[in-house]
Amino acid sequence: MLTIVARSIIIYLIVLLVFRLMGKRQIGQMQPFELVLTLIIADLATIPMAEVSVPVLHGIIPLLTLSILHFIITLLTKKSVTFSRIVSGKPVIIINPKGLDYKAMKQLNLTIDDILAALRNCGYFSIAEVQYAIMETSGKVSVMPKAEYTPATNGALGLKEDDSLIPITLVSEGKIIQANMKLAGMDEEKIKNITQQNGAKKIKDVLVLTMDKTGSAYIQLMEGEGKSISCEVIPA
Amino acid sequence: MKIFHYINFSLIFLFLVAICVIEDVYVNKSLTQTQYDCLQLEKQLEYDESLLTMQMSLLVDNLQYHWDNNESDLCYMVNHKSIQEIGTEIAKIKSYVASNDVDAFKVSIETIKYYCKAYLHFMGASGHNIL
Repeated sequence: MLTIVARSIIIYLIVLLVFRLMGKRQIGQMQPFELVLTLIIADLATIPMAEVSVPVLHGIIPLLTLSILHFIITLLTKKSVTFSRIVSGKPVIIINPKGLDYKAMKQLNLTIDDILAALRNCGYFSIAEVQYAIMETSGKVSVMPKAEYTPATNGALGLKEDDSLIPITLVSEGKIIQANMKLAGMDEEKIKNITQQNGAKKIKDVLVLTMDKTGSAYIQLMEGEGKSISCEVIPA
Repeated sequence: MKIFHYINFSLIFLFLVAICVIEDVYVNKSLTQTQYDCLQLEKQLEYDESLLTMQMSLLVDNLQYHWDNNESDLCYMVNHKSIQEIGTEIAKIKSYVASNDVDAFKVSIETIKYYCKAYLHFMGASGHNIL
């Protein structure tokens, strides 16, 4: 049993290394060759874990070989558009100003329901609202709405707005995040004052406290509802 | 970061090459050694038909000693189940020597030689094995 535990740790670390080298991508964003690689790796990793007579190297070697193969394919797809098209395919327009492209639908094996579901995911509930819909190589659908259904932007309306500020987490699950205090122009004493003013006896009672550079904050205690508050900040 | 990636993959590539070479060399060396030990046993048997001699006991111990050492190292690279038959046959040989069963002894030697030849065939990199 100890052997299996040790083998599982080794294989886990190797798989982790291989995935880290592959880069960060979610399953929905993977290119076809990346998805194939992920499926093979998942299968390969389990064999030497459970089968003690199989050397761990029999699991490690294919994993490392696949990571090298992935590296080479990624390199080639970056260097050559033709190679990229062969391996990943190319984006296909499924809706154009004339309507649905039935030929493209057949080529991609898509049904009307699939397209409607993809459009709903993008926030459009009717084909009539869409100017273009493109099936990306990752399998996701990108939508460009018709001009009358395009959401209004501040730029289009001629409104001038300040750039939004990222709130910084000062307290998370009862702990002060020291590294963020300076960024928010706060100190520990001030954070304690704010939390006490909002009903927390100790920092431990605070679930979350976030604040942006203007002093606009959000606090929620472990037991209670969240609320927006305004605080005074120390100029940086 | 790009350089770091190239270095990483170069190291992995070198590791793979090294492992492949080490495996090939080690498997060849171990199995050839076993074949050689078997030939020595056969030569001894031609010289003296009895198994109850000091020389024969030494040669059998030699075969077992070499195989035990090689087997433990081979297990890092080769499926343990694939090579366990040789160890089993060597254990049988020891009992045949004790009972002076020459015919069974010869059969076991032939079996070990056969396994060595077969393993050398399927463990090496060849078109047959790849496909």
